[in-house]
Amino acid sequence: MKTPDPSGWHRTSPFAILFFIGRISRNIAKNAWQSLAPFIAFLFAYQGELVNKLLIGGAGFVIILTTASILSYWFFRYRILTDSVLIRQGVINKKQLDIKFERIQGINIEQNVIYRYLGLVTLNFDTAGSIGNEGNLPAVTQTFADSLRLQINGNSGTGDTSRTSSVTTSNALLRLTWHDMIRIGLTDRRALILFAFAGPFFERISDDVEQIIIEWVEIAAGFGLHLDASNAVSIAVLIVMVIVIILVVISIAAAFLRFYNFELTLDHNTLRSVGGLFTRHEHSMNLGKIQTLRLQQGIVQALLGRHRMTAHQAMSGGRQRTKKVFDIPVVTAELADQLRKRLLAPESGNLSQDPKSAPFVSVSPYYMRSGILFLGLLPALIATIALAPQLGIYSLLILLWVPAVALLTFRKWRRAGYLHDDNEIIRRSGLFGYRTVGLLFRKAQRVTITQSRYQRRKSLASLRIHMASGSVRIPYIDHTVATQLRNYMLYKIEVSQQAWH
Amino acid sequence: MFQNPEIALHELPGTDQLRWQNLHPNYKRRLRVQRIIVILAISVIVSVAKFTLDAPTLVTALPLALLAITATVLLVWPAVSVPRRGYVMRDKDIVFRSGVFWRSVTAIPFNRIQHVETSSTPLDRKFKIATLKLFTAGGTKGDLKIDGLGKDIAEQLRVFILKKIGSSIENT
Repeated sequence: MKTPDPSGWHRTSPFAILFFIGRISRNIAKNAWQSLAPFIAFLFAYQGELVNKLLIGGAGFVIILTTASILSYWFFRYRILTDSVLIRQGVINKKQLDIKFERIQGINIEQNVIYRYLGLVTLNFDTAGSIGNEGNLPAVTQTFADSLRLQINGNSGTGDTSRTSSVTTSNALLRLTWHDMIRIGLTDRRALILFAFAGPFFERISDDVEQIIIEWVEIAAGFGLHLDASNAVSIAVLIVMVIVIILVVISIAAAFLRFYNFELTLDHNTLRSVGGLFTRHEHSMNLGKIQTLRLQQGIVQALLGRHRMTAHQAMSGGRQRTKKVFDIPVVTAELADQLRKRLLAPESGNLSQDPKSAPFVSVSPYYMRSGILFLGLLPALIATIALAPQLGIYSLLILLWVPAVALLTFRKWRRAGYLHDDNEIIRRSGLFGYRTVGLLFRKAQRVTITQSRYQRRKSLASLRIHMASGSVRIPYIDHTVATQLRNYMLYKIEVSQQAWH
Repeated sequence: MFQNPEIALHELPGTDQLRWQNLHPNYKRRLRVQRIIVILAISVIVSVAKFTLDAPTLVTALPLALLAITATVLLVWPAVSVPRRGYVMRDKDIVFRSGVFWRSVTAIPFNRIQHVETSSTPLDRKFKIATLKLFTAGGTKGDLKIDGLGKDIAEQLRVFILKKIGSSIENT
């Protein structure tokens, strides 16, 4: 499926045009609407019928998109060297990428329905320092992708030389069932966020809804049923419930699309996940690249007894830092602990990242003071005094804010804690749910100890461990413990003979 | 013979007994000059606004009073904050302290530094000072920024750290 070239440069399969159509469409949808301005201006200037306008508009858009995709395909070349992949691309702005094998943190493979039928895949190189989809090889054969992955993994010293096919089922760590798809759908926050964003839209159509309700009431009256205010409230609640159910169904459908047949495997040092209903996504990551392991549990996940586990790699540089995350969408706490044992072996992984496991050390109760004072008491007092002339005695009700904040701060303190052994530390936090973050001492980039005046009086300090994937803060611990942990971390960084990335 | 002695946490080198290096003596003056320029610029804008818009004295007096209080604090503050900043170069890392109310001590091991940068604004050059920035993985704007170093010191530190980075890479 690739055209050889005497100079060593190859062109991918012509089906890569589909990839470029998708990429250009996404770019237009994201940030290039303004580039369509001349085209839209022409449509407005055109004096014909509206249907004709739309037809011309649609046809013009398709022609421009197809032409741009064909040109992108035509000017896209790649070359495989012994230690790097070279990619030349761009129609007007020519660009050459030199992706060193040693910089590749993970290799992702996507296969949509058409590519699956043709035996093609799109390779994505996850590199430290690049942003966006720059490192892509679209529409290459599965065999080529596998051999290139072997070559890259061999070069970067991952030892992943045993694989010959993209998916094996021999040593699967996890397989998700359709029950899990439902769990993922139910716990997906995006449905709630969508609902929140759709609020103003619902408000706009509320007049129509009101009209419909009035009509229903009239129809019901025609049948001899008299609906009062409580019935109207019930109808409103019913409408909201229907909307929520629709959103949840969409969310579950999205989970099926993304995670259908999800399988997690570990081959030597490479963690790999494969899944997806129409487009199959295959992600792989070298275990050595893991900077932090996170386990989180929201309210719904707590009800279902499940967690979400993510392995975070080093963030890429530049102004827009992109987080690189390997996602395991639904696991039990026991399975999460088993997984982390496999992922961090042999040097670590003995601690439990289950937030409800007993040995977490609590942070100081003084942690609650600043929250209650600055988020609760002070704002409540200011608001009470400011609104007293208008509200009179009722302004005292604002002071109820203080116990509410105190209760939330207490919950937050109860969840805050840490746990460590000789090699790693785990921090626990949360308000309604839980989040635990585990990291190896030797992978820390820098360490900061901060003390406020109050903390100095109480011999307390906050420890912030900066990792390549972001920082982890352990607040309000004993100052001596903080300095000992800091000194030990610096010692581990110095004596470690292993690379942090 | 292979040895693997146990390490006691309290025996590890700490930062309590460090001899902190102060920033350049000109740094306080440099900060004050910069702040005076900004304060004067704002005062001119407020005064021009008063005369052109013919605003009542009470309307312009309040911002000017606030500006005067802020200016006093800003001009006094370097005398409080600058002596509390300092750095120490150790064999394996660089340690930097800062802060008056919230005091922080940051340690960066040399073998985690990706690159080093020195920079100076025209005002810095007037006072013969420079800024040293150290970058580690995962950061963007400079993970440790030491303002107010003598120009020569900043350059010496940059060369020293680069050598340390080189030797740590060779040892790995």
